[in-house]
Amino acid sequence: MAGSLSRGRRYFVLLLLLCGFGVVLFRLVTLQVLQAAELAVKADRQHQKTVSLEGARGTIVDRHGKVLAMNMEVPSVFGVPTALDSPAKTARYLSPVLHVGTDELERKLSQDRGFVWLARKLDPEQGRRLGHMLMDGIGVVMEGRRFYPKGPLLSHVLGFVGMDGEGLEGVERRYESLLHGEKRVTVLQRDALGRTVFPKGLTEQNPASGRSLVLTIDEVIQYVTEKELEDAVTRTHAKSGAMIVLDPQTGALLALAISPRFDPNAVSALGPDRWRNRALTDAYEPGSTMKAIMAAAAIEERVMMPNTMVFGENGRMTIANTVIHDHEKLGWVSFAQVIQKSSNIGAAKTGMALGDQRLYRYLQAFGFGQRTDIDLPGEAGGLVKNPRDWDRRSVASISMGQEIGVTPIQMVSAIAALANGGVLMKPYVVSEIRDARGRVLQQILPQVKRQVVSPETASTVTAILEGVVTDGTGGKAAIPGFRVAGKTGTAQKIDPRTGTYSASQFVGSFVGYAPADNPRLAMIVVIDEPHGEAWGGTVAAPVFNRVGEQVLNYLGVSSNEPVKLVMMSESP
Amino acid sequence: MKMLAVFVGLCLVFVFVWERVDMVRVGYQIERLKHDKVVLERERDELRVKFSALSAPDRIATVASEQLGMVLPQQGQVIVIQSRSNGAPSPRDTPVEVRIAKNDLSGGRK
Repeated sequence: MAGSLSRGRRYFVLLLLLCGFGVVLFRLVTLQVLQAAELAVKADRQHQKTVSLEGARGTIVDRHGKVLAMNMEVPSVFGVPTALDSPAKTARYLSPVLHVGTDELERKLSQDRGFVWLARKLDPEQGRRLGHMLMDGIGVVMEGRRFYPKGPLLSHVLGFVGMDGEGLEGVERRYESLLHGEKRVTVLQRDALGRTVFPKGLTEQNPASGRSLVLTIDEVIQYVTEKELEDAVTRTHAKSGAMIVLDPQTGALLALAISPRFDPNAVSALGPDRWRNRALTDAYEPGSTMKAIMAAAAIEERVMMPNTMVFGENGRMTIANTVIHDHEKLGWVSFAQVIQKSSNIGAAKTGMALGDQRLYRYLQAFGFGQRTDIDLPGEAGGLVKNPRDWDRRSVASISMGQEIGVTPIQMVSAIAALANGGVLMKPYVVSEIRDARGRVLQQILPQVKRQVVSPETASTVTAILEGVVTDGTGGKAAIPGFRVAGKTGTAQKIDPRTGTYSASQFVGSFVGYAPADNPRLAMIVVIDEPHGEAWGGTVAAPVFNRVGEQVLNYLGVSSNEPVKLVMMSESP
Repeated sequence: MKMLAVFVGLCLVFVFVWERVDMVRVGYQIERLKHDKVVLERERDELRVKFSALSAPDRIATVASEQLGMVLPQQGQVIVIQSRSNGAPSPRDTPVEVRIAKNDLSGGRK
């Protein structure tokens, strides 16, 4: 009896065990066989995290390695409105740190959405304060933000980037394909707490950073140029100003300044009118500065020599029913004096002696009417009409710098050709492309475009242009101790209301180079709509002088004028 | 023999488990170090930006003139002179450039 009961119990226990194992087996088969694929996907989703990584944008430095633009990871704050209890309370809490209005934050946090940006790309300091204030429903992600540590310095050349880090202007835009970092998607393993353990397959590699750029710009020369231009624009109450400093032997830009400046760190409130690089985009009638180019063409073609005598018509001459005036009544003067005194009549006569085809050929050779191909975006080609569209006074007008549109970069490149023995160089602003470790990947070398005039002609024109500074209209450009060659220009602007030359709106300019005997700098100063006296020799030449002296000293160029030094000892 | 086989089997299982656990441990270590590296890189970048901003010519000029009372030299007050390392001038000598502030130039340039 006891044995049969015991056996019955044993069977019962066995049955229970079998049932138990059966359930486990059934569950095992369900999980491992029937739902295997579906559950494997689910497990992967839980254990793996797919993240999109982007390499840092490349750095931009000046010719001495000074940082002009670089990326830094900063916090961006987002909210999950559906996970918040009180949007109003959260908004009040976060508003002082995020520097966003309480109302705006509350509006964002009250939306019926799963994700909303509250503030993007904050300052690192804000991020540190925010670190102690995070709560459920508020999160932080790190994003790359572009910093321009020098503020407005070189802003028109550097340009700026958009909210998503894409270059929108200047070097940032022109070299976007090199500067931006590599984008890559990586799968990471994570544990039950969501922490990253290690990348799947252990093959994770950080995405490559963008290339870095070394500019030809010198930070110090840029500062001096911007400061002096800004002072001149303020002093003359001008609408704007542009100045370029170029190495005439290579075409390398040492400085490019536009006034007024802007801060690329805070560009959202500004319009294109403020950030446009006027030195490249805005064509203007050059006025008398064109006489330097016309003189080079005339001397190269042996139409004129410095001592060729030209009759100044006592300051008044009629061409094609149009009267041309000189500001000084001249009789017989040498061709050198025509340029030095900036005679319109002498220039017109020279242009007519040269003829339309030859004049046009030299305009093209010097690069007018076509882009210089500088490595910056938005360059305009200027305006040079074809001779078949010229009227009877066009030759005279163009010789005086009218009926032609040039950009400051074209004009300074052309004058730099005279400083460089008649060889026209291609202007450029990026000298090296480097990888993230600073290794040079590509070096951009100076490029010769063409020989425009002979070295002898360039030398002869230089002597004439030196006379402009020593005896002519450009006296205020003279730099003590250095020989300076240059030409002033004062051009009337077209009045958009009447379509004729304005009597009150002018562009005053000065273009030249120094030292004239061994040019290290070619510079152009353009002052747009100065108030009061608007002569190029009055408003632009002094800027040339001040920048020229400081930069030549900075470059260690010694004066060619003997000086006597007196050592003074302090009296007891 | 059986005991030896069981022992070896247990050892293999132990090694396998130990290896997996250690991989996870090293994985955490790597992640922590990577995080430290990112934090240090951010700090480095921040310092670079700060250094660059502090050394901006605009700022230096303002500090020099407003806090230190320095003034820019007047026109002609800076003269770059060239001296040669030995007395005899030779075109092959590398010129040594010296900058001095001119206090007085009697009969100098006007």
